[in-house]
Amino acid sequence: MSDSLSAALATLRRRYGPQALHRGDLAGVAGGWATGVPVIDSQLTPGGLPRGRVTVLAAARVGPSGRLTLLQSLTAVASRSRYVGYIDLAGSVDPGFLADLGADLDACLVVTPGRDRWERGLVMARALVVAGISWVGIALGPDRPAPKLWEHALAALAEALGKRRTVCVIAGPAPLATPLAHVSSLTLACAPAGWQRAHEDVSGLRVRLTAVKSRIGAPGAEATVLLRYPRPYAVAEVVGLPTVITPRLQPAAGERSSLRPAPAPAAAAAAARR
Amino acid sequence: MRILCARYAHLGLITALRRYPELRGEAVIVGGAPELRLPVIAASAAARAAGVQPGQPLRQAQQLCPRAAFVPLDSGAMAQQRDSLCASLHQLSPAVEVGEEESLCDLSGSHVAYADEAGWASAAARRLCASLDAEPPAVGVAGSRFVARMAARASQPGRIRRVQRGSEAAFLAPLPLDVLPIEASIAARLAAFGLDCIGAVAALSPADLQRQFGAGGIDLHRLARGEDAGGIHPDPGLRVWSERLVFDGSIGDLETLLRAAQQCVEALGGRLLAAGLAAGEVGVALELEEGRAITEAVVPAAPLGNGAEAWTAMFGLLGGMQLPGPVAAVRVLVTRLAPVGGRQADLLRPGDGARETILVAAQRLRLRFGDAVVRRPVLAVDPGDLPERRFTWESPAVAASR
Repeated sequence: MSDSLSAALATLRRRYGPQALHRGDLAGVAGGWATGVPVIDSQLTPGGLPRGRVTVLAAARVGPSGRLTLLQSLTAVASRSRYVGYIDLAGSVDPGFLADLGADLDACLVVTPGRDRWERGLVMARALVVAGISWVGIALGPDRPAPKLWEHALAALAEALGKRRTVCVIAGPAPLATPLAHVSSLTLACAPAGWQRAHEDVSGLRVRLTAVKSRIGAPGAEATVLLRYPRPYAVAEVVGLPTVITPRLQPAAGERSSLRPAPAPAAAAAAARR
Repeated sequence: MRILCARYAHLGLITALRRYPELRGEAVIVGGAPELRLPVIAASAAARAAGVQPGQPLRQAQQLCPRAAFVPLDSGAMAQQRDSLCASLHQLSPAVEVGEEESLCDLSGSHVAYADEAGWASAAARRLCASLDAEPPAVGVAGSRFVARMAARASQPGRIRRVQRGSEAAFLAPLPLDVLPIEASIAARLAAFGLDCIGAVAALSPADLQRQFGAGGIDLHRLARGEDAGGIHPDPGLRVWSERLVFDGSIGDLETLLRAAQQCVEALGGRLLAAGLAAGEVGVALELEEGRAITEAVVPAAPLGNGAEAWTAMFGLLGGMQLPGPVAAVRVLVTRLAPVGGRQADLLRPGDGARETILVAAQRLRLRFGDAVVRRPVLAVDPGDLPERRFTWESPAVAASR
């Protein structure tokens, strides 16, 4: 780094504060919340879901996508170590299912503002975030109110998240609303990839996750997770399935791509040796 | 100290009969459907006559009284009824404790509106009777909590049994030992000594009782003599503190009003700091020259623990008020008082230090948007086969206090 650049940076930090400048490659990694699912924590996002940002689980197409099941699974994982708020705007929360997923119900606050009352739900989520809750999940219903009714509440929530470094996961229907797509720092598109069957019975749902937008890493990564449905006296879990990571867009020969696929294990080892 | 104790039917039963007035006089059992493995919460007189007792399984109650009507417990209505009772008794007494089947209030000293204790107690009983809208309560007045409860138990509905000062021991002497709030092992040991009434225990020397039961023996002796120190334990959340300032002449400018309100707020802030309490709501009442009063209240973003915080909320409140006429007096109130004490955080749960703040925020959301908006799921003890019975909903504050 040249002396003049260093001097300029020092001037900016002195004038606007030490938090005014960040290194871009450290911003996401330092603030990740590890979900405990390796494919999500390493392949889709660097270090887990971002803190202080909005993560959106978006349906890849209209209809069932597994996003709400994935959201409840993540809520269950988070509740084992912290207080979580679940804003149910889809009217689909089932605490029994959450318990089967292994959630600590004592640490769960379920907020039911009313089906499709997005503005009220976002305002209530912000109130909990300002109070200090460290994990918020928001399940949006399929019927979407006009964005002008709730986009300001979403912006206020995003601002509060940034100040409190709270993890916020929003499950949204397809097509993704523009304000939601804009505020999102990580958008994972969810598409059902078939049922998982065992002994001629359905034991889970395979969901294909694609990082269609990422401000904390390279977008385009894909992975498949298995959402195991809970059985009596067993705790369900999210399992990453072994898949080959492929970029969503293949660059043409001789063309540089903004997508940076994760290196294959052999290539990574060779890079480490170099 | 003088304590009034009023015993009445279970509030759950009273609210159920208020909701289903056609069941008055019938056998009513509160607790839920009989197929649930839950206990009886309360039973009407007709059901009690058939042998139903609180605490019995509902199935057993159904066998004892097959024609009884089973109604669920309406916790919300019960809490509302409790608040109403508390508010009505607070108009007569500074310290009030309201339970599900009995209420206690402090009758120490004197009341300016009543010549003697009997009139004061009658007024309190009438207030209770009006609030309950049910059978009149049985009231007892005595010098200690235990004796007042025993006096209420010995009284009849609509009657007041007063135990004069100095005669507590004589009142308690013929009562059996099983009314004493002591451990079963101590009661069994006293019975093994051949003691069959409270008077026999009171006649023993405190040293003998201490040798047998340790420090608890001294407490037992005091209890038997009607000298227990258990006073009234008012719910701090229902306490109201207020400061009132009367102007020399009626005022009409906002600046003077603000200065007066600030003086009241500072006095209340000092009291809050001294008591280690924080107020969840702050209000102001402007008493107009015509005699009417305008009251406004606000639930602030966070509980107010001192005068500066309270003044910020009060300033915003007064700024939005319109003065319709000259103001004769201003009164500032702080309610929903709760301790601001800390606790040991769960070191293995990140963010646990903010638990109280989160619960306060949840309570405020409930106040603003309704009770059913923010809840905490609790797995049912006996879920049965139906999925919707696998869990119940609780208020976050209730769940946290467990």
